Amino acid sequence: MKIARSIYALLVVALLIQGCAFSRGTLGDDIKSDTVAALQKGITTKDEVLRLLGAPDRLVPLNGRDVFQYYRYDAKAGSLLLIILNFSRLSIKSDDLFVILNRDGIVEDVIASKRTDALAFRFWPFGE
Amino acid sequence: MTQVIRRMASIVLGVLIGLSALGCNVIRVSLNTSLAPEDVAFIVPGKTTLSEVVANLGAPDSIVDSDSGVVATYRFLDLKYSRVNFGWLAKPWTPVDPDLIFSRTGLGVDAFEVLCDGQWVVRQKEFLRHLIRPPFYPYPFQRSGRLAPMNYYLALAQLDPL
Repeated sequence: MKIARSIYALLVVALLIQGCAFSRGTLGDDIKSDTVAALQKGITTKDEVLRLLGAPDRLVPLNGRDVFQYYRYDAKAGSLLLIILNFSRLSIKSDDLFVILNRDGIVEDVIASKRTDALAFRFWPFGE
Repeated sequence: MTQVIRRMASIVLGVLIGLSALGCNVIRVSLNTSLAPEDVAFIVPGKTTLSEVVANLGAPDSIVDSDSGVVATYRFLDLKYSRVNFGWLAKPWTPVDPDLIFSRTGLGVDAFEVLCDGQWVVRQKEFLRHLIRPPFYPYPFQRSGRLAPMNYYLALAQLDPL
């Protein structure tokens, strides 16, 4: 009886997910929250930033300061392919980290946000 | 007799709905979270700092230097693509694979820019474009909204011609 129920459940799940497709793509290394927390304003030096995070993806000169920009993109795509009617949705979000270094090469400010944590697979293209 | 008519009507309705969805593709691509004017209403030029902006909106996508200060840019995209292939209607009756495709893409590329002075206080804020995001609408021949079936589309097309 249990086996029959399991088979029925498996069949229902198989029917529900048929025609579904999931894809994912990422660009850049993960920016770990621990690493960002280790950057201390007025204390951490440029060398330490480079050791912790590696070379920046972009270096921006900003009013006499150097800004190291690190980013990571995460893309999740979901599709519902019903042969004659197809829905797809691709959501892309980024994690960004800006480390602002003063003229002495000391961290002046850190601007960071992690948006990819809330990124979900979606296939329904309507609504928000 | 009434029951037969009702049954027929529901079957015809089902077939019509099915036919209208034949060969349809609806695709949406979103990059970052779209910002609306109400999302950035808290920014008061001359008062709000970049730190407060970051606390509310997250880190910007880019920060660049300019002669008058620092520009932080939040980029976002809300692409909508819809496609209908009317060739599907003829498929059961023809040996070839016919296509009659109407499709349309609205790119919905926009950005929000904040100009800050040397003290990181916001001096100006503005959206790159003032888009009203159009709904999925596969008819490609509409130009400046004149052929749109509803006044709604007319208003949209005047503000956001694709």
